[in-house]
Amino acid sequence: MADERASDQSVESSLATRLARRFPAGSLAVRNLSRQRLRAGLAMLGIVIGVFAVITLGMLGTALQTAALAELGGLGNQVIISPDDGEENLGPREVQAIRQAAAGGGTVIPLNSGGASVSGPNGQSFAQLYGTTQPAALFAVDDVPDTLRQGVAVGDELAAGLGARVGSAVEIEGNRYRVLAIIDSEGTFSPIRPGSAVVLPPDEFVADDYAQVVVQADSADDARAIADGVRERLNTRQERVSVLSLTSVLSRITEFFALLNGFLLAVAGISLVVAGVSIFNVMLMTVSERRGEIGVLRAVGVHRDEVLRTLLVESTLLGVVGGALGAILGTAVVVGVALGTRLPLSAVLVPTNGLVVLGAFGFGMLIALGGGLYPAYRAAWEPPVESLRG
Amino acid sequence: MNDGDGHGSPPLRLDGITKQYDGGGGTVTALDDVDFTVERGEVTAIMGPSGSGKSTMLNMLGLLDDPTTGSVELLGERVAALSARERTDVRRKRVGFVFQDFHLIPTLSAVENVRLPTRFLDADYTDRAVDLLGRVGLADRLRHTPDELSGGQKQRVAIARSLINEPDVLLADEPTGNLDRDTGEAVLGEIQTIADAGVGVVAVTHDSLVGEYADRTVELVDGVLDG
Repeated sequence: MADERASDQSVESSLATRLARRFPAGSLAVRNLSRQRLRAGLAMLGIVIGVFAVITLGMLGTALQTAALAELGGLGNQVIISPDDGEENLGPREVQAIRQAAAGGGTVIPLNSGGASVSGPNGQSFAQLYGTTQPAALFAVDDVPDTLRQGVAVGDELAAGLGARVGSAVEIEGNRYRVLAIIDSEGTFSPIRPGSAVVLPPDEFVADDYAQVVVQADSADDARAIADGVRERLNTRQERVSVLSLTSVLSRITEFFALLNGFLLAVAGISLVVAGVSIFNVMLMTVSERRGEIGVLRAVGVHRDEVLRTLLVESTLLGVVGGALGAILGTAVVVGVALGTRLPLSAVLVPTNGLVVLGAFGFGMLIALGGGLYPAYRAAWEPPVESLRG
Repeated sequence: MNDGDGHGSPPLRLDGITKQYDGGGGTVTALDDVDFTVERGEVTAIMGPSGSGKSTMLNMLGLLDDPTTGSVELLGERVAALSARERTDVRRKRVGFVFQDFHLIPTLSAVENVRLPTRFLDADYTDRAVDLLGRVGLADRLRHTPDELSGGQKQRVAIARSLINEPDVLLADEPTGNLDRDTGEAVLGEIQTIADAGVGVVAVTHDSLVGEYADRTVELVDGVLDG
């Protein structure tokens, strides 16, 4: 009768029993944690908050960086060459040298420039004038025609002020031009501010030489190589041109973001360390409450390292569960922010952010393990006679 | 005194054991030149007032504490040479402990408490634990946790736990300390059965009832053994 009941009961919880048998330290740890649920929960909450903070700040930082670089990306590929102080304009010799330096790595766009008063259907305004044969390459927007013949492209801000539309006419220094395109200044990044500019065919400029040359390189590396090449060709003997490559600006922006992210992560990391201190405290309390029990374990032949392992599993479990909760919450919040703001979701879902989540989880786990280390060591290494007395 | 019953060396022997502690007011001698042998199949009661050194002596027998001078021998081998790890192994294999206030783990069921000493071993002792609990009359309390058991039942779980490793020696600290007389007698009956199976039992107590069940009673007064 009694035996029957016994076998019934062991069938009932056979899975739990089997798990307990496979992971003796783990099953003991889980039960010990369930003894002081509130306390374990609060210690775990610290890890949840810490991991949450690391993940939200880390992921948002990465996402902002990704989004910003995606928008500024084009900028990094431009090299702008202008005459050095005291020099006049860039002549055909300089343009030739730049073309050699850029060969195979980018498109060379010589620019004439000047300023003039422009009048349109509804008004008059002073505008920056640029002359180029390749407006499309410079502005990298669809609706600017490849070449301008007998017409101009007008920046959107200027066009709004003048009341000009595609097809209407504007007058510059007594000449009338048809507006062939409006440049959308939002979607483009360029060293010249296209919003308030008028782009004309270069023939309309009197001078033969150019105010600046823009090289649209194929990549950031090309841009760097071209900038170096131009300096080498034109500036070796004397500073004739100034070369501005936004690659260095861009890498400084990247550095800034790295610094910002590092700072944010450090702040969030501190909250995780604080969580580790609270786990340390909780484990110290647990261990001193269970001194007698630990003494019994040691007396009946459980080894020190086995006691240590059980206690470490206990504190690490707090980190694992807390870290998982924090990771889920943090990711959810960051995705929510991306969905609710202009931050694109694609900037959030980048591989780096996967690393942020894994790293935060792992760090949370390590912190919890570290917090349990000393209390567990102290408890396991105490002579059983002492702990039994306690 | 050393009237061994033919099983070879006695399971445990204390030889000239002295234990001194550095207390606040100078050195305290807890045990003073104690010679003692645990014999197989025999229940020995160590009687004495509180503070007479009974617990210290039990700790020496259980390899939980080291003497200041003298030697502890287990199956004829000196224990002092063993590492902490080896001692733990010896306790796991050879010694059974019954503590005064049971010292059961509150989160574990009766079966789990009984197989606690073997929990980190590969082999599964659940069947033996169930069997032992049946032997002490707790077959219907296997899944109960300590707070669902009475004092006597807890003590019987503790006794079952001390037998899980088939020990050579069973050490009991006040086995009837927290029990009423009837329950105490039942527990002592169990202990006698264990000794009959060839285990050397040492019970430390100041309960005269234990003396009635013991084959041999020794008195410990101020660290000096008498009897």
